[in-house]
Amino acid sequence: MPIPIPAEIGRANQHDVRIRWNDGHESVYLACDLRLACPCATCVEEMTGRKIVNPLSVPANVHPLGISLVGRYAIQIQWSDGHSTGIYTFENLRRLCPCPQCRPAGKAGS
Amino acid sequence: MSPAVTEAVVLQALQKVRDPDLGRDIVSLGFVKDLQVRGANVAFTIELTTPACPVRDKMKEEARQQVATLPGVKQVEVTMTSQVRAMASQRLLPGVKNIVPVASGKGGVGKSTVSANLALALARTGAKVGLMDADVYGPSIPTIMGIREAPRQVGNKILPVEQYGVKVISMGFFIQEDQAVIWRGPMLAKMIEQFLGGVEWGDLDYLVVDLPPGTGDVQLSLCQQIPLTGAVVVSTPQDVAIKVAQKAIMMFQKLNCPVLGMIENMSYYVCPHCAQREEIFSSGGAQRAAERLKIPYLGAIPLATAMRSSSDNGRPIVLSEPDSPLAEAFMRVAENMAAQISIRNMQGQLIQDIQITF
Ligand SMILES: Nc1ncnc2c1ncn2[C@@H]1O[C@H](COP(=O)(O)OP(=O)(O)O)[C@@H](O)[C@H]1O
Ligand SMILES: [Mg+2]
Ligand SMILES: [Zn+2]
Ligand SMILES: [Zn+2]
Repeated sequence: MPIPIPAEIGRANQHDVRIRWNDGHESVYLACDLRLACPCATCVEEMTGRKIVNPLSVPANVHPLGISLVGRYAIQIQWSDGHSTGIYTFENLRRLCPCPQCRPAGKAGS
Repeated sequence: MSPAVTEAVVLQALQKVRDPDLGRDIVSLGFVKDLQVRGANVAFTIELTTPACPVRDKMKEEARQQVATLPGVKQVEVTMTSQVRAMASQRLLPGVKNIVPVASGKGGVGKSTVSANLALALARTGAKVGLMDADVYGPSIPTIMGIREAPRQVGNKILPVEQYGVKVISMGFFIQEDQAVIWRGPMLAKMIEQFLGGVEWGDLDYLVVDLPPGTGDVQLSLCQQIPLTGAVVVSTPQDVAIKVAQKAIMMFQKLNCPVLGMIENMSYYVCPHCAQREEIFSSGGAQRAAERLKIPYLGAIPLATAMRSSSDNGRPIVLSEPDSPLAEAFMRVAENMAAQISIRNMQGQLIQDIQITF
């Protein structure tokens, strides 16, 4: 089961991120949700996986200033609030896709 | 009268020379530089993707011959250089072109010994090399590399200790032995951040990272925080060792981080008296496992007491016995690893299939 890889990573609008995947799927991530999903060890407790970033500490208008590839398995996002340590693997990003197909009603993501 | 020699004719001839690792000709790969044609004299440079290229001499000779046999050519001068390609740009360590973690399923398989010797082998080819000892449980690189001094601090940056031509940073510089087990969570995260952001590595072609043994959360979060080019997995030939090594491989695949290949350590035994090779464990197990898992096999390192004593004395074998079969084995593994890195990075450059338009 090959993991889907982005074909294109770009803007959905001024703030939000759109990923077009190589299997044809399209994901649009709200910038703020993506920032709060940062997997880095200062945002997520490593042993338990518990989120430790305080949502109130992140400005509501947070948005990416830049996105760069990490190897061929992930991206790194430079956020407008100065944070940039998270490495978002493609696998993780795909899992985070908020579209109705990936997240049927009632099964909203954590 | 011979026809005039032109650049186009020379390039056409050079198109017959292929890079066996990258599977393309050296002209379309952009390796041919500074082509000069002066009457019957031709000079050019071939720029490889690593100084640790195993077929460097063969390629040089092949290129020379292709051009020398062109009508009208009297003299050919070929210069070989290299420019290590970087993995897709990453901001965390901007001067570091490639970050290669060395992992193992469990401790004691020789991961640290292999990491140190690989770093030295790469440096011996002329590459700029760093060695990061990220083993929070048992940092042993300072001992193996014979480092007694502490790193210097300049402003808010830590300078790696330069030893035998390799830049070294170790967890052992910052922690006491009895502290090692309690590294977890935010503390570990902070430490890694310091390790990554706080160290002035300068420009490096390869940064070899000695990971903690095993495939638990610590390894996972380390790998999630470091932008990796691809990982190397060390195993001994025994069945159980290979089974746990497979777990490490699965961890990297889960991270979608490429596995550059598998190394078999303590493979066969070289008798110190007659240099004969004897199989003590059934060797080749790692190779078969690599084939089954469809990952490259980078080579075998023999079991030899000299390996242990050289590490205990702080002068790894590649340095202390550079002409020994042991050092040779490390040179071959380093070359194979460098080739795998070049393949990954060139593929990434040639097939730009991830477009970032942000
Ligand atoms: N090929 C080898 N032949 C003999 N001894 C070896 C070999 N590789 C490693 N050793 C020895 O085995 C022990 C464990 O090696 P080490 O590199 O510390 O393993 P790890 O980092 O995987 O725990 C050390 O004493 C080392 O000197
Ligand atoms: Mg070790
Ligand atoms: Zn974070
Ligand atoms: Zn979706």
